[in-house]
Amino acid sequence: MKSLFQKVPRLVLAVIGLAVFGLVRAPLEDDLREQLVAANLLLPPPGQGAFEQMSQSALMGTLGGLRSLVATYLTLNAFEHFSTKSWDDLRANYLIITNLEPRDESHWVSVIWHIGINATANMEIDTRLPAFERERRFNEYAFQAIDLAERGIAQLPESFAIRLQLAEVYREKLKDDCATARVYGEIVGLPGAPGYARRFYGYFMARCPGREREAYDYLTALYREGEAQRLPTLIKEIKNLEVKLAIPSPRRIPDGDPDRRPQKSAEKPAKVLPGGIVVP
Amino acid sequence: MSEPAVEVKNLTKVFSLGLKKDYVVAVDNLSFEVKAGEVYGLIGPNGSGKSTTMKVVLGLMAASKGSAKVFGLDSGDIRARNEIGFLPENPYFYKHLSGAETLRFYGKLCGMKGAALKDRIGELLKLVDLEGAANRRLGGYSKGMLQRIGLAQSLIQNPRLVILDEPTAGVDPVGSRQIRDLIMRLRDEGYTVFLCSHLLEQVQEVCDRVGIIFKGRMRREGTLDELIEIENQTSMTIENATPELIAEINELIRSRAGARVVEEGHSRTSLEHLFIQIAERSREEKS
Amino acid sequence: MSDTPNAPAESAPRTTPRGAGKSVPIFSIGRVYTIASSTVTQLVRMKTFYFLLAFALVVVAVGNFNIPATPAKELSMIKKVAFGTMDIFAWLFAIVATALLIPKDVEDRTLYTILSKPVRRIEYLLGKLGGVLSVIAISLVAMYAICAVVIFSRESLFVAAEYDSMKASGQYTAAEIEEQLSLIQQQGLRAELGIAVLASFFKASVVAAVTIFLSTFASSSLFTIIVSILLFLIGHAHHMASSFWLDESGNSVVVQMMVKVIKILIPNYQLFSFSEGIVQGEAVVAALVWQMGGLTAGYLVVFLLLSLLVFVDKEF
Repeated sequence: MKSLFQKVPRLVLAVIGLAVFGLVRAPLEDDLREQLVAANLLLPPPGQGAFEQMSQSALMGTLGGLRSLVATYLTLNAFEHFSTKSWDDLRANYLIITNLEPRDESHWVSVIWHIGINATANMEIDTRLPAFERERRFNEYAFQAIDLAERGIAQLPESFAIRLQLAEVYREKLKDDCATARVYGEIVGLPGAPGYARRFYGYFMARCPGREREAYDYLTALYREGEAQRLPTLIKEIKNLEVKLAIPSPRRIPDGDPDRRPQKSAEKPAKVLPGGIVVP
Repeated sequence: MSEPAVEVKNLTKVFSLGLKKDYVVAVDNLSFEVKAGEVYGLIGPNGSGKSTTMKVVLGLMAASKGSAKVFGLDSGDIRARNEIGFLPENPYFYKHLSGAETLRFYGKLCGMKGAALKDRIGELLKLVDLEGAANRRLGGYSKGMLQRIGLAQSLIQNPRLVILDEPTAGVDPVGSRQIRDLIMRLRDEGYTVFLCSHLLEQVQEVCDRVGIIFKGRMRREGTLDELIEIENQTSMTIENATPELIAEINELIRSRAGARVVEEGHSRTSLEHLFIQIAERSREEKS
Repeated sequence: MSDTPNAPAESAPRTTPRGAGKSVPIFSIGRVYTIASSTVTQLVRMKTFYFLLAFALVVVAVGNFNIPATPAKELSMIKKVAFGTMDIFAWLFAIVATALLIPKDVEDRTLYTILSKPVRRIEYLLGKLGGVLSVIAISLVAMYAICAVVIFSRESLFVAAEYDSMKASGQYTAAEIEEQLSLIQQQGLRAELGIAVLASFFKASVVAAVTIFLSTFASSSLFTIIVSILLFLIGHAHHMASSFWLDESGNSVVVQMMVKVIKILIPNYQLFSFSEGIVQGEAVVAALVWQMGGLTAGYLVVFLLLSLLVFVDKEF
């Protein structure tokens, strides 16, 4: 009556087959995983912090291979916090998002923009709070933005977009020309960095006490590169430095073409979004 | 002597019950043959092992012991199934397909294609009288229509053997009559028909030979005549007999010592009598 | 009375028994194709493709969200929602359709009529799997087409607006404008996105093969669906689990053994989530895609063979 219990041994046989297959594929899969992670196609598991903060549904989604969808949902949720000016909730959301998708540059850029630009701006005008508290929170948000930028740069060391956003915080909020120049300086060497970063590096270096000479050399070198770099602001900055450093007339550059000069100084466009992107 | 269409030898089928070492013997050392060209009926009550036997012949189940062959091929052999057309009890086909699509699907499974398949579908739809419903989805078919499209499906590849499991179960009398007519047509066209049923009247009408199965064992087998023949009795069918002629015959019989008229007219339920007898006998055996 | 259909059997005319039919090929792609195409018809007539309408609505809705994001970010969000939805559709459909179709054939006894024709059980399994995967492939291509249209139209709009505003500011050189536009285009419609669709298809194929295996011995569709989803979740987490439990000393031997057993028995689905990286704009490494394709094929072959092992002796 061997055939009597056919079904059970078949299943056992199948499980053995499964185990053999598992043993064969395990090393191959481990190797593939490493390659996929190295190619940034696969993410390492979310950091411990992310799990602690995630809601159950977000956790399930993450486990179910739906990290992007959960991250996108949280991003939309963050916009909700943005519209209600709940800055702390927004930051908490982004801490999870950046844990889920640490390699998505736009998350870092967004959160730095939200906390470093919007939250600080809100503190400048929020009359419900006493002036002292506003100032304290303004600084807190600015430094939180810097902290986020550092974390983002640790994840994406070659990201110029995160640094552009960070530079904006230093430039617009903390009015720290030296720090701004330092960040633009880092951007200059990065792959894919926008060409204007070099000019901005020069402009802010020029305003950083003690670096005027360096700035003058840098900007004139740019000027000598040719027509493409000879934008009105560049010429204006060189002219300022020529006066400041008392450069003798023969070595000064000629006056800029008045036709190329914009109506008003437009160093910064009317509205800038994360990544230095201009919005019409 | 041609090869038998079905040859079942010492077939035993045991089912285990769950994980315990309990088991049920569904078919017990069963042997029989279906000759090519005949209509063979396997009859027995529900749970007697008819369907199990059929499934083994179809290769849907493996025998625990013994063998089942179809035209000399082992029933598990894929070639054997090309020789078989099967209509299960209460067939459900894909409801989303129309009658013609159903036949096309099964035809393609049998390797048919093109004009040959198209012609065959037309032929079969005509045979089972479903030409008008060819493009209607099976979801809207009545039970009798389903049974008929099922029969057409079983014949699609022109098999030599047609196996029918309870072909008229749940079908109304008119539909049932249509199916019986079809079976007889099949026999006339040279198909071997092997059917299972517990409806004795139906079997009596269409089968050349009958096997009676009970609790997995073959109890009686033979031609219908052999089975229902009562050796010391003779029946006569007379056409245009006048009452006077009947009276004369009765008179003649009475005049012979020992002879008497037992019954006049047809013995329609004789098979049923026999069947009940066998059932009672096996019950006695058991006790 | 002799001409009535009720005539006794003996009186009917008889012909000679029929001759043998033609031979049967041992394995036939034609039969697999027939079962696969019938499965596609079945799924189509079950109105599966209505899902595409819902998908189109989701993608168009996300494409028109009014959020203060950069163009690149907005494109990236459209992509993530669209490809995330496609991925869910693919694996969920693979589980549900596969788990429903085979047990339904058994329950309805349609399988009897199919297997009593000259059809091998492997042909039946292959046909069913092929049918489900074809529907998934068709749906994925259709969904990809829908989101390609949405992404491309948004991208063109953003690029044009960005160009105009940068030009108007007069502050940027042509090369810089080009650079800025390429930032947007990087998040726009790119050929690599096709590989992301392929990745979702790989994942769904493995899920379907595993579900077929489960359904060859499961007693109900519900059981198959629940177990498949459970395996799917575990299959995503087991790398995380093993790196968490195996690397940390101090965990009991039992826990470590369990994690190892799970790793060996349950497919590593997480590997197949590499579409997320592609959608985020990472560069595709062709060799890796090939390797993943090979791994998928390996899963399909092994799970089909295991299914056959159980199914070939299955009695109905």
